[in-house]
Amino acid sequence: MDAFKFDPVTLPATAPGFRKEIREFLARELPHVPAVRRANCWAVFDAEFSRKLGARGWIGMVWPKRYGGHERSALERYVLLEELLAAGAPVGAHWIADRQSGPNLLRYGSEQQRQKYLPGMARGEILCCIGMSEPGAGSDLAAVRTRAEKLPDGRWRINGQKIWTSNAQHSQLMIALVRTGAVDEKNRHAGLSQFLLELHTPGIRIQPIVDLVGHPGFNEVFFDDVVVGAECLLGTEGEGWKQVTSELSLERSGPERYLSSFALFVELVRLAGRVDSEALRHAVGRLSAELWTLRQMSLSVAGQLAAGEDPMLAAAIVKDLGNTFEQALPGIVQSLIGEDIRLEDDSDLARTLALLLQTSPSFSLRGGTREILRGIVARGLGLR
Amino acid sequence: MSEQRQLLSDSVARLFESRTELTWGEIEELGIADVLVAEEHGGSGADWDDACAVLQGAGRWQVPLPLGEAMLARKLMAEASLEVPRSQVSIAPEPAGTLTRAARGWKFSGVLASVPWGRDVDHVITTVEFDEQPHVVVLAVADASVHKTTNLADEPRDDLQFANAAAQAAPAGCREAHNLFDYAALARTAQIAGALQSALELSVGYALERKQFGRPIGQFQAVQQQLALFGAETAAATCASRSAAIAAGTRDVSFEIAAAKLRANQAIGVATAIAHQVHGAIGFTREYALRRATQRLWSWRSEHGNDRYWSERLGRAVIERGADSFWAHLTTDVR
Repeated sequence: MDAFKFDPVTLPATAPGFRKEIREFLARELPHVPAVRRANCWAVFDAEFSRKLGARGWIGMVWPKRYGGHERSALERYVLLEELLAAGAPVGAHWIADRQSGPNLLRYGSEQQRQKYLPGMARGEILCCIGMSEPGAGSDLAAVRTRAEKLPDGRWRINGQKIWTSNAQHSQLMIALVRTGAVDEKNRHAGLSQFLLELHTPGIRIQPIVDLVGHPGFNEVFFDDVVVGAECLLGTEGEGWKQVTSELSLERSGPERYLSSFALFVELVRLAGRVDSEALRHAVGRLSAELWTLRQMSLSVAGQLAAGEDPMLAAAIVKDLGNTFEQALPGIVQSLIGEDIRLEDDSDLARTLALLLQTSPSFSLRGGTREILRGIVARGLGLR
Repeated sequence: MSEQRQLLSDSVARLFESRTELTWGEIEELGIADVLVAEEHGGSGADWDDACAVLQGAGRWQVPLPLGEAMLARKLMAEASLEVPRSQVSIAPEPAGTLTRAARGWKFSGVLASVPWGRDVDHVITTVEFDEQPHVVVLAVADASVHKTTNLADEPRDDLQFANAAAQAAPAGCREAHNLFDYAALARTAQIAGALQSALELSVGYALERKQFGRPIGQFQAVQQQLALFGAETAAATCASRSAAIAAGTRDVSFEIAAAKLRANQAIGVATAIAHQVHGAIGFTREYALRRATQRLWSWRSEHGNDRYWSERLGRAVIERGADSFWAHLTTDVR
């Protein structure tokens, strides 16, 4: 069972000073963010704020300088992420580029692709979205049917559809997983490739889907005879599955997987400071223990990533436990508030609770469902 | 993992594994009861992280000896400069009694409840206030009337009554002596992590062997998903125990210990339920090994602070610090 590796991490000596710098910046830039806007803040889109972070050197901060990065350490980046999330900063616009699209380009992209896109991403100007899910390919990602067909002149023609694509309507770039080879039922992971698609390309149509609270957060993206050059292939033809798996590791491993409901926890502690209640104290105690533990586990995953390891199993565990925590919190708060607080109220607590009650069920869907993650853990236990 | 921790881990694994009859002499030979004692006091000068590795091993192989208790006792005595002949020792983190000055030395009257292996050890170490200062107190079990009780796993948890018994005492000299209850909880948390690991290994092994409907039950997704959750809970308790142990070397860690014991307690509820569900009826037999882990876990959830105790203490501390200080406190770096 040594597969469950959660070795502790010591943050670099620069961490406390950097933390202070970030907090001062946030206090200046975001003086009064209501809790309802702090909740699930990595899905909150604010292009202007992202450009400010870019100007500060806080997007792509670990990337090489020659691509617009800042060559800071991975653990310093972790400190930045957790501070942004805890403060509820609206980081949704650039989150995907910083977390996975940029790193994916660094790993598999050509020199030309890196030079063309990375500096803009690091400035917070080129925003990215994820092209994985399709109507027939959710958890079963290898079932993607969007197809790229190689034309005689070396270009590619793409037809198909992506869905549940967050921020596609605001993004310039999508990394899409598409089928380039024939379907082989014996090796379903073969014949897939990744493409870097500029979303203004003719033939791409984006149609918003309104979510259950009324936000047009995600989209359908249609590809209708979209012709792109050979330079749009990312990495190696046919290696898409391997590439997308390493992208998913990045997608699942960050502190956003346990901090999405943190704003509500803070409001719960505030309530417990006003109302003397044993039930509230005990809930705060249990939730604090969980938060502390999740942070230790999340830090350990960050340490493994920083050491160049691929902590797929540990990341799956932290995401599963983190999502469970984020999702339990609204129900716990709802069960503990008094008669004097109604869901319809205009208070920070009520509005945040109402939002998270409705949106938190999605937390164990996005980035890999609970069932898929537990399948990964079961494999780690030797059961599959 | 540090080299020393790995060495310790390996040597306790060799000693504990597949041994049902382990003697105190073998523990002493390896020096593992003295890992927390500084080198200048004749110990190995290791830290809580190393102690945690040993105690996880003790929990994993259900060592039937008061090992964590002895580690704490030896540390307390050494740091209080109490010269006591080497003997088998346990601790009493919740004493009810008074320490008084005698013509020569000290006297103690009172009850030490639930002393692990109280009947078997030579001395029991506790901490008692004297002159508004905590003192480390050493008592000979021979001077006590012993009321024998055991926990659910048949581990001795004896009540010791002392009436004006001779004691050795000295002012507390280390964090552990000032907060013996907390550090006893830290030790127990490491054992919980170890016992969870052993229950998980048994459960996974059983799921791969036991066949129903023509295949091992571990091939059913319903069983896999439950064992995955069990694995995650075990990982959480293990990481919590180790993180608190690492912090314990550096400063006051009541927050970390509270969080770790409470998180481990919570894991016990989920994990033992799944362990027994996967095992079916065989897990409920006296003979089968699972109960050696689960009966300990059920007892240890109550020992050194149950869920109610730690959630009250932790909740109160967090609320008093204030909603807007939580994050700053959580991210105070351990160095």
